Amino acid sequence: MATSCFNICDLGKVGYEDALKRQEDLLRQRMTGEVGDTLLILEHLPVVTLGRLADEKGVFDPDYFNANGIPVIRTSRGGDVTCHVPGQLVIYPIVDLRARGKRISGYIDLLEDMVCCSLEELKVPASRIDGKRGVWVHGKKIAFIGIAVKRWVTYHGIAVNISNDITPFSHMHPCGEKEISVTSAEECLGEDLDMGRVKKIFIEHFISGLGETLSEEETLTAGERWM
Amino acid sequence: MDVRLPDISGKTDEAVITLWHIAVNDRVEKDQDIVEVVTDKATFDVSSPCAGTVTGILKLKGEQVKADEVIAIIE
Repeated sequence: MATSCFNICDLGKVGYEDALKRQEDLLRQRMTGEVGDTLLILEHLPVVTLGRLADEKGVFDPDYFNANGIPVIRTSRGGDVTCHVPGQLVIYPIVDLRARGKRISGYIDLLEDMVCCSLEELKVPASRIDGKRGVWVHGKKIAFIGIAVKRWVTYHGIAVNISNDITPFSHMHPCGEKEISVTSAEECLGEDLDMGRVKKIFIEHFISGLGETLSEEETLTAGERWM
Repeated sequence: MDVRLPDISGKTDEAVITLWHIAVNDRVEKDQDIVEVVTDKATFDVSSPCAGTVTGILKLKGEQVKADEVIAIIE
């Protein structure tokens, strides 16, 4: 596989640990130059994840998650505690930052900008807040970030609430913050969104933002498992 | 050789040591991951700049370090 290509892989709905293994395989291959940069796009089966420095007390109502069969997993990314469920769009870029002239803060700024642009195209008035990470709509958090980097290659990434039930977030302190409200794109719009269209918009903005341009043919087949 | 924390963030110059992968007297190879730090919603594995033997670890888990600060010595 040529190292200059930008791969997009739609994993569909997938368990957290299966997706992590896929990321780690691609990470190793990217570090050795066997593959080019890759975007993994997916929805996770229900799971709560704790970032490297997260306090388990951030999940203040573990009985809720036990009763609903939602596992709580410690993981290797930065950031604090968050929840993944189907209907939430997750994007994991496996990207060599050196090749793109980025350090971590600039890369996270870029991720946030790409999410804002994607949501704006969906008519969701998303923005960043100075001094805070993530993406917000009228003071409510809609997108969550946590990444990891080995030899300047990134993995993990960003999760955006699209059509998911946000109830689980009320049984935890998202991002370790006690005073935080969470929303979703559908809640903001008051209408249903087609996940296929949402994925296509996000893929286009991510590829564009990361310095590549999808051909028309690639854009049209963005929902397929591998391009 | 001094192992210094690279400027990984580009904005904030501080990180927290979260996990040493090595110990004093360990043999390490060039580019081997030696320590994990956390900054700005990210974990970052610092790799060894050379092959050799670890003769000093200068920062403990949980300590804050600044970019360009010496964190270990490899000879």
